[in-house]
Amino acid sequence: MLLLLPLFLLMASCAVPDNGALRFGLSKMPVTLDPRFSTDATSSRINRLLYQRLVDFDAASMPAPSLATWQKLTPLHYRFTLDSGRALFSTGERLTSEDVKATYAFILDADNASPHRLTLARSIERIETRGDDVIDFILKEADLLFPGRLGIGILPKTLIESQHPFNRSPLGSGAYQLVAWPDDTQLRLKRRSDDLLLEFIEVTDPNVRVLKLMRGEIDMMQNDLPPELIRYLSNEPGIMISHGAGANFAYLGFNMEDEFTGVLQVREAISLALDRDSIIQYVLGNSARPANALLPPDHWAGVPALHQIAYDPAAAKALMSKLGYSVEKPLHLTYKTSSDPFRLRLATVIQQQLAEVGIKVELKSYDWGTFYGDIKAGRFQMYSLMWVGIKLPDIFRYVFHSTAVPPEGANRGRFIDAETDRLIETAEAANTIEKQAVLYQQLQHHLLQQLPFVPLWYEDHVFIARDHVAGYTIARDGNYDGLLDVQRND
Amino acid sequence: MLSFIISRLLSAVFVIFGVSCLVFFLIHLVPGDPVEVMLGESSQPADREALRAALGLDQPILVQLVNYFNGLLHFDLGESLHSKRPIVDMLMERIPATATLAAAGLVVAVVIAFPLGIMAAMKKDTAWDSGAMFFSLFGISIPNFWMGPLLILFFSLWLGWLPVSGQSGIASLVLPALTLGTALAAILARMIRATLLEVMGEDYIRTARAKGLSERAIIMNHGLKNAMLPVITLLGLQLGALLGGAMITEIVFSWPGIGQLTIDAINRRDYPVVQACILLISLTYVVVNTLTDLVYAWMDPRIRLGNAQ
Repeated sequence: MLLLLPLFLLMASCAVPDNGALRFGLSKMPVTLDPRFSTDATSSRINRLLYQRLVDFDAASMPAPSLATWQKLTPLHYRFTLDSGRALFSTGERLTSEDVKATYAFILDADNASPHRLTLARSIERIETRGDDVIDFILKEADLLFPGRLGIGILPKTLIESQHPFNRSPLGSGAYQLVAWPDDTQLRLKRRSDDLLLEFIEVTDPNVRVLKLMRGEIDMMQNDLPPELIRYLSNEPGIMISHGAGANFAYLGFNMEDEFTGVLQVREAISLALDRDSIIQYVLGNSARPANALLPPDHWAGVPALHQIAYDPAAAKALMSKLGYSVEKPLHLTYKTSSDPFRLRLATVIQQQLAEVGIKVELKSYDWGTFYGDIKAGRFQMYSLMWVGIKLPDIFRYVFHSTAVPPEGANRGRFIDAETDRLIETAEAANTIEKQAVLYQQLQHHLLQQLPFVPLWYEDHVFIARDHVAGYTIARDGNYDGLLDVQRND
Repeated sequence: MLSFIISRLLSAVFVIFGVSCLVFFLIHLVPGDPVEVMLGESSQPADREALRAALGLDQPILVQLVNYFNGLLHFDLGESLHSKRPIVDMLMERIPATATLAAAGLVVAVVIAFPLGIMAAMKKDTAWDSGAMFFSLFGISIPNFWMGPLLILFFSLWLGWLPVSGQSGIASLVLPALTLGTALAAILARMIRATLLEVMGEDYIRTARAKGLSERAIIMNHGLKNAMLPVITLLGLQLGALLGGAMITEIVFSWPGIGQLTIDAINRRDYPVVQACILLISLTYVVVNTLTDLVYAWMDPRIRLGNAQ
């Protein structure tokens, strides 16, 4: 080491000049900046900065105008009118209805293998333009939630036709435009309104990300940090930490075809045995709120008055006792989780709490691909996962309908229940949003009784920045829209 | 020597062919469907079948193998399932970073290991020897995922000399190179000490001493030269490992090299990229080991002669 000391001093003099950019630390870089293909969270969040979309969502997750307003002319005919003051593409061209049509036509073409095709192809019969500003969507069947499905960034038609590589050279009409993507660990954008430079930097290791923030090599980051690191940073001078309520839903899932977890009393005992408040306080550092349903209570189809799942280990023990199990003679279950250290730690706490009511849990952790493969294939008794970015209540069909068992959907627990199917189908057939909301609320009451999963919590979003960063607001779904207004106060 | 070179190159070609086949079949055995990865969990069976056909994944496995080799012969490794980028481009972006880090790690290792190993051998059973071997044991024992953050804490945060991570100029190379080089230096130093001690007991060293040569000249001209053979083998193997991507170090320091690409691709189940990375790593090992064999044979004629017999 001493032999290399002079070398260090030499290197230290070669500091990289500060280009004035605000640097945002990411645990994972976006995979693709082509919104027609992006499915991972980081890509979707950054694409929101680069492209504009027809429709967005308000605080209650209700579809809201973004690039266009709409009218439902008939249940099968939606007319969208583009905002007259809309931003130009970064090429200087005006975004028109033809660009909207070309974007959605590309996605609907099965040959292009867009992961977004299925949802749209179910609804859209054809798309027609009426001048530069008006576009009509003709549907195959009535779909009250249709506007909410049009959240994909709009690309210029001419570049779609010339097969422009949007995945690496994004070009939209969003607030930011690409400056450079020199390698897979750095991505530079420029805010079009004031030329503010923004640099996304990938730092996989959370400890190193924290060290970079402390040394000023990055200016801000959001989420993907274990609570102990957040606590550590809260004592550091010059670092600001903000929390925002999130809607990412953590749950314990069960295999309903299993002879043990398929029994309602076992699932009830598990739900009663979990001290979620203590886990939230001590393990999650109060960065979550207890959940009782898949949709948060502030969602337009959520249920604020849904009864709370109680922590009642005595009742859990009594239920297990009725089934012939006790702490001395426990029920043995396996619990699968990913190899993420924090998820594993949570699983260990749950394991301990269940042991106290006579359920002996064997933890099995796997790398993400294997774990996820097992869950989809139904090779589990119990597992924990999280639903991220849920906006529309049609998630219920995807997750709980009897026809949605993988590979047809995400009914991973093989939950087959006639009443659930009926409520989902009736809600889908409702002719007003209000009626639909009531039916989905009934469904959530029913699911809480049937417990195909045990709701755990909605995790908060945590934004951490150095004190010269101002103007960032945390979005409910964890997107990076706060970067639209962020400023550097040096 | 020519026949030795030809035999080594031929065996390298066979090894690469074998590895390519193995990688191809292993990737097809890994759980998970690349088509589902591309289209998502909610895709329709008809869409999946259409894409499977478009990618040629509906073909018999042997036809796919032939297509795969056909692609390899044309330097076409396909494209990433996720980013849709040509894999060759992705690899070409990463190779310079990995090569730079490997070279720097090797320089650090050599700069530390040679003086340390020679000193330990020359001052055998003294405090110098014990100190050098303690450092060596320390270097071997401490894993890179721990060493990296420790170095960051000390040199970046406390002293403020060097950047924490990334690839932002020459200064950012120091800590990953030190992390990589320290572990390699530890192994090398022990090897140099052991082989040098063995060589220094040989008759020709005694003869050199009897001729009145200085200890420095004996070590440099006779001892070290003859102690180099096993060291070269070790260096070759380690260089192969470094060029194949020092995964942990690259992840800790956010170094955009092959190792990080491989881990990302595994996590994302981007099978063509995983396949290409493993093939590249294997190829690197084969090339470096073949070169090591050739250098070995050049330095020690007994090896090539023995091989010829």
